[in-house]
Amino acid sequence: MPILPLHWAFCVVVAMQDASPPPAPPPALELLDHAHLSSALKALADAHKDVAQLVKLGSSRGGRSIDALRLAGAGAAQDKGRPAILLVANLDGARVYSSAVALQHARELAGRYASDDKVKALLDRTTLYIVPRANPDAAEARFGTPRFEQRASGPGVDDDRDGRAGEDPSTDVNADGVIAWLRVKDADGEWMDDPADARALIKAERAKGERGVYVLWPEGRDADKDEKVAEDAALDARVDRNFPDGWEQHAKDAGVFPTDEPETRALCDFVLAHPELALVVVYDAQDSLVGEVKSVGDDAPFVKRIPPEGVLESDAKLLGELGKRYKKVTESAVKAEGNDKGTFTRWCYAERGLLTLAATLWDIPLEEKKKDEKKEDAEGGPKGEEKPVEQAAESEKSPQADKQPEEQGAGDKKGDTKKDKDKKDDEPKPSDDAKRLKWIDAAGASEAWRFLPWTPFQHPELGAVEIGGLAPYARLEPPASESGLIAQKHLDWFLTLGELVPRIQIAECTREKLGEGVWRVKAVVENDAYLPLLSRSAQRTATTRPARVHLDLPSAGTRLGGNVQELLEDLPGSGGRKEYNWLVQGPDAMEIAVTVETPHAGTVTKQAQQKKATEKK
Amino acid sequence: MIALTLLTLIQQGAPKLEGFPGLAAGRAPKVEIAWNRLYDTAELYAHFDRLVAQWPELFSMQVIGHSVESRDMRVYTLHNPKSGAEADKPAMWVDGNVHGNEVQGGEAVLYLAWYLLENYGSNPRATELVDGSLFYLLPSQNPDGRAHWFEQAHNAHSSRTGVQPVDDDKDGLFDEDPPDDLDGDGQIVMMRKYVPGQGDFRLNADDPRVMERVPANDKGIKGDWIYVGQEGLDNDGDGQVNEDEVGGYDMNRAWPSMWFTEFVQGGAGPYPLYWPETRSIARFILAHPNLAAVQSFHNNGGMILRGPGAEAYGEYPRADVAVYDELGKDGEKMLPFYKYMIIWRDLYSVFGGFVTWTYEGLGILSFTNELWNDDSQDPEKRIEPKERYFFDDKLLLGAGLVPWHPYTHPLYGEVEIGGFKKDVGRVPPSFLEEEMLHRNALFCIRHAEALPRIAIQEPVVTDLGGGVRAIDVIVANERAIPTRSAVAREKKIGTPDVLALEGKDLEVLAGGFRGDRFRPEEIELQEHEPARLLREAGLGSRAELRVRWIVRGTGSATIRYTAEKARDATRAFELR
Ligand SMILES: [Zn+2]
Repeated sequence: MPILPLHWAFCVVVAMQDASPPPAPPPALELLDHAHLSSALKALADAHKDVAQLVKLGSSRGGRSIDALRLAGAGAAQDKGRPAILLVANLDGARVYSSAVALQHARELAGRYASDDKVKALLDRTTLYIVPRANPDAAEARFGTPRFEQRASGPGVDDDRDGRAGEDPSTDVNADGVIAWLRVKDADGEWMDDPADARALIKAERAKGERGVYVLWPEGRDADKDEKVAEDAALDARVDRNFPDGWEQHAKDAGVFPTDEPETRALCDFVLAHPELALVVVYDAQDSLVGEVKSVGDDAPFVKRIPPEGVLESDAKLLGELGKRYKKVTESAVKAEGNDKGTFTRWCYAERGLLTLAATLWDIPLEEKKKDEKKEDAEGGPKGEEKPVEQAAESEKSPQADKQPEEQGAGDKKGDTKKDKDKKDDEPKPSDDAKRLKWIDAAGASEAWRFLPWTPFQHPELGAVEIGGLAPYARLEPPASESGLIAQKHLDWFLTLGELVPRIQIAECTREKLGEGVWRVKAVVENDAYLPLLSRSAQRTATTRPARVHLDLPSAGTRLGGNVQELLEDLPGSGGRKEYNWLVQGPDAMEIAVTVETPHAGTVTKQAQQKKATEKK
Repeated sequence: MIALTLLTLIQQGAPKLEGFPGLAAGRAPKVEIAWNRLYDTAELYAHFDRLVAQWPELFSMQVIGHSVESRDMRVYTLHNPKSGAEADKPAMWVDGNVHGNEVQGGEAVLYLAWYLLENYGSNPRATELVDGSLFYLLPSQNPDGRAHWFEQAHNAHSSRTGVQPVDDDKDGLFDEDPPDDLDGDGQIVMMRKYVPGQGDFRLNADDPRVMERVPANDKGIKGDWIYVGQEGLDNDGDGQVNEDEVGGYDMNRAWPSMWFTEFVQGGAGPYPLYWPETRSIARFILAHPNLAAVQSFHNNGGMILRGPGAEAYGEYPRADVAVYDELGKDGEKMLPFYKYMIIWRDLYSVFGGFVTWTYEGLGILSFTNELWNDDSQDPEKRIEPKERYFFDDKLLLGAGLVPWHPYTHPLYGEVEIGGFKKDVGRVPPSFLEEEMLHRNALFCIRHAEALPRIAIQEPVVTDLGGGVRAIDVIVANERAIPTRSAVAREKKIGTPDVLALEGKDLEVLAGGFRGDRFRPEEIELQEHEPARLLREAGLGSRAELRVRWIVRGTGSATIRYTAEKARDATRAFELR
């Protein structure tokens, strides 16, 4: 069983407060530490040998195995070029909940293969690789004491440039089992109480006549006595900052060089070893489905030989449509505003040409969901534009993040982005943290753990301080009442992906007699699924092998015109077609076929049918 | 810990200084190596091992990894362990041959080791380098490419890559259609075909071996010949010839700084340091923060190159450029016909290059030399094909050429095969090799003699009254290379230098760096731990640093300067 201390056990408790009538929400997901997750995956593979196998991708820096569950239904072995979908979760060590959702998908898919047509359709058409936990080392902090959001799992640097590395990490100074926030009254402080809710902190703005009263730190000692608290962590490099695309050299969380983190490299090598991948899904701290993706023109000119950053326009259109479908099925409105530099999501797309659907599963909502809106969704009436509730999931905001406190926080640096026109100007607008506190208050006793009241503490180096603020994982793990439901909705969405990945067909294959012994062979290659054979990015990166179209001619036949093989890259989805012609000499009796072979969209052969005389002009 | 003097020499009662090598009447070398030929991977390693056998106390070998074909990646360490620990000595890295065909870089590394070892103990400057600094020498970054170039049919430009299979033509097959040595002579040369009145080349009237392009004209004048590519077949029957060679990537585009994927930078591979050769080298270099100089040897063209490799990087910091310029300009004098150049601006753009990583990523001043060959006696004047034939005829007795001879090709029909051999054009002919090696090895020595060296001058103690004293001291870097390059300071690479005052009975009240020679109160005080002053900027090129401590107490004291890229310096004194 998972190791869950009592006061953190919200996630194993089935929602009890809700007295609303059935159907009850699905049970909350268990959060599993590495040992339990590993045995759960193994048990799953053992119990469903027909469809599931355990695949090891590699080992973490700490020696923990990084595993995928491979799921494939009937005919997988004979199915040449069967497309694969890769689901990766928990790259950000603190997003343990996303690994539970990925495991739920694996369990449901393996368990329902025999009984559920949708599941069967998905697994008979595609191979799935589900990696529930890409960052097992950092995730382990979720289950330890003290509890804190651990993101880094690789080498530390000398954050405070004092010639010593890792000498002043965050610690649980008040020994309450949690590493939270520490605020000190200080005339040099930049932070002040949020007038809307004094439990939240905002940055004082001198232009408004405000004056800061607090210095804010992650909870910790001043071990090196430099008047800075918890400013030099033992570990700094993060798995999901260590991928090559947009890698930020010299940023302390980026790692020594791209793919230096073993977890990062294991994922890269897995992707390289699987040319059958047609789509990637990421449940973590990135988002390419809810917010608008940053896009650039397909042929945007390189600047000083470097391509401009962003999703190519043609692909962004696809992501826009897929995002719409995602929002409709999952009802999610969680955006990520995190840095995408050096992330798996970005690498898969920009350097491997793989369309990558990234979802941030949950955050504390900043605004209450309006009842009528929800109703409309439930009725399925696509009336007007959807108005997703603004939520910001910022992976940086924790005491363990390596940012200076001014950049993160139990406070709100951005102030309010949304303007409520009804409100008077002088009425204080609540900060995002104040809104979160409002949500926490409204959610009742079961969610009260998410905020730790500021409590006076006598600090060994700093004297009188207060410790409190948003608790670790407060913004990462949904309440029990939603935990299972989010997973269920995402699975519903995930089940729709199988039909999207490209599928090669030979729509037509004919031979036309041009005269005695001379034939014109024509083949029309078609993609009848939604996604293109190669994304626009893949056409640019040339990392996915194009379709190989070739004429199968017996020795009696001679090719008079047309190439022995053609490589096909640009074949849109939703019925994209491409025609090929050959001129062939040979006897009437010879058999002619055309084969189209791909690594990720199937392989088909079709005999050329003789055109009827009436079709001839 | 103590700045090294010529310990060995002096203690052993000053042996007679002998003139070898470099002077014609000098003694014979202890290890004879022929410097007028090139060595394949195994032979090259064997020569290094002979040096290890002759000078085991100064020269050692370690295997830092293996190539794709499991050849050793070897680093040879040259220093005097008796004069101090490796990690305390400023180090220079020298390698060659990342491009498998650019072989003579390997011999240049060998020559450097041999020259320093032969001169150790007799030449004071060579002795000081071996005692006071350290060399990490990697003969070949690409031992597979080197071995293939020697052992298999190639031309001057092929076998640049490593040998991990790559599907160059995206047909799902790997390395299935390389050039073929159709006539079995160990050379991949050109194929030409006679097509009367339909070609774009004609034969030179004086020398029919020379193909000349017919100048564009409106008179309908055509040539009788066409080139049909390099010697080879359509091995995989896809209608293309020689389109999927062995390997097909570039290990000098694989390094983490300004690395870009294949569609931006061809040959870059799927991610930085993807190939085992590159990764083993990177791991070794990262584990040696004492490295303060890098030299990498390529061919060809006579260039002393520095970064940036890409315009998008911007300019290097001015202070570092000044040191680069000093060394580069000396190099131009030491290496006639070589030009000191900036890679992207004066040659071409290189993303993910090796020496740009060691500088931009690690803060180490780094050069690539494109080694000289007969093609660029004067880089302003490219040698004309006709002159190359003259050179081959008169100075090589025709040994460099495969004469045109007929061959029946399955696709092209009757063709002729011929052209220059693989060891013409990019590697020097035997009689020019030694000079090339010597000048380039000595350029490395010029670079190594610029490695930072710290001196702490005699401290001056001033009694300020009431038991309070001021200690003023000047710490200097006597050499051109800073202890921390400007890029290292800006990007916070490595560890800041530390200047510490230690004394059992001393209470250090304050301390900091002085901004003015005459006004001691102009001082930048360090708020915490004044006895341990941090110096992110290190000690610049031939820079002096003035320091003042305010202390209480008396007795023995020590000032210690600690830097990653220089020997630690200490100075003991008495406070009375
Ligand atoms: Zn080269």
